[in-house]
Amino acid sequence: MNRVGLALKWFLFVWMVVVIWAAFMWIPSAEGFKGESSRIVFFHVPTAWVATLAFLVSCIASGMYLWRREPKYDFGAAVSAGLGLLYAVLATVTGAIFAKIMWGAYWNWDPRQTSITILLLIYAAYFALRSAVADPEKRATLSAVYSILAFVTVPFLMFIVPRIYFSLHPDVMTNADPDNSLDSAHLIVLLASLAGFTGLSVWLYSVGTRIEKIRHRRRQEVL
Amino acid sequence: MSDLTGIMAVTMIIWIGLFAYVYRLDRKVSRLED
Repeated sequence: MNRVGLALKWFLFVWMVVVIWAAFMWIPSAEGFKGESSRIVFFHVPTAWVATLAFLVSCIASGMYLWRREPKYDFGAAVSAGLGLLYAVLATVTGAIFAKIMWGAYWNWDPRQTSITILLLIYAAYFALRSAVADPEKRATLSAVYSILAFVTVPFLMFIVPRIYFSLHPDVMTNADPDNSLDSAHLIVLLASLAGFTGLSVWLYSVGTRIEKIRHRRRQEVL
Repeated sequence: MSDLTGIMAVTMIIWIGLFAYVYRLDRKVSRLED
C-alpha cells in the first residue's frame, strides 16, 4: 500500500466521520418533514447516486470487454454491477425507512419503489446469468452484452418513469421551486456525503477488481 | 442520550466496522499480489 493511497484512505475515514456527525448533530431538521426523517437524505441520495454510477461503469467496462476481449474489463464490469446492486439495495432500504416515517408504510408501490425493484431484479439476473455459464470467455461475452442492455433501462427506471407518474417521492435535487429546495447547509453536507460515498465506492471497486485478478491468476496457474 | 445521538452512534459504529473490514481486506489483497 503506497503512502498516497494510505493517506487517502484515512482521509476518507475522517471525512465520513465528519459527514455522519454533521448529518445528525450540526444540521437542524428540515421543515416539511416529519420528525428527523429529512436526515436520511444524506445517506439515501448518495447510495442511489453511487448505484447509478456503478451501473454506468459496469456498462462501460462491458463495452470495453467486447472491444478488447481482456479479462480485466470483465472483472471490472462484474465488480461494478455487484457494487451497484449493493448500493441499490441500501437505497431501497433507506427509502423504505423514510416512507414509513413520512407516509406510514414501508412499502407503497410508489413509482420510485416499483422502478428500483425492477432494476434490482434486472441486475440480480445479471449474476444469475454469470453463475449459469461455466466457460469464462462465454460467460464474459454474454454478461457484457446483458450488462449493456441492462444499463439501457437505468435512465428510464431511475429518472424518467418516476417523473412521468405521480409520486410521493420528494424531488429536492432537481425542482425549481425555491421554497422546496435544500438550504446551503443541507446542500454542503449532502455534497460531502456524495463525495464520501463515491470515494468509498472507488476503493471497493479497486479491492474487488484486484481480488478477481488474483483469482484469475490462480486459475491460470492451476490450468 | 437522545434518540438522534443513539442513531448517530450506531451509524458511526457501522462506518468504523466497514472501514476496518475493507482496510484489512485491502492489506491482505496487497500481500497476495506481492
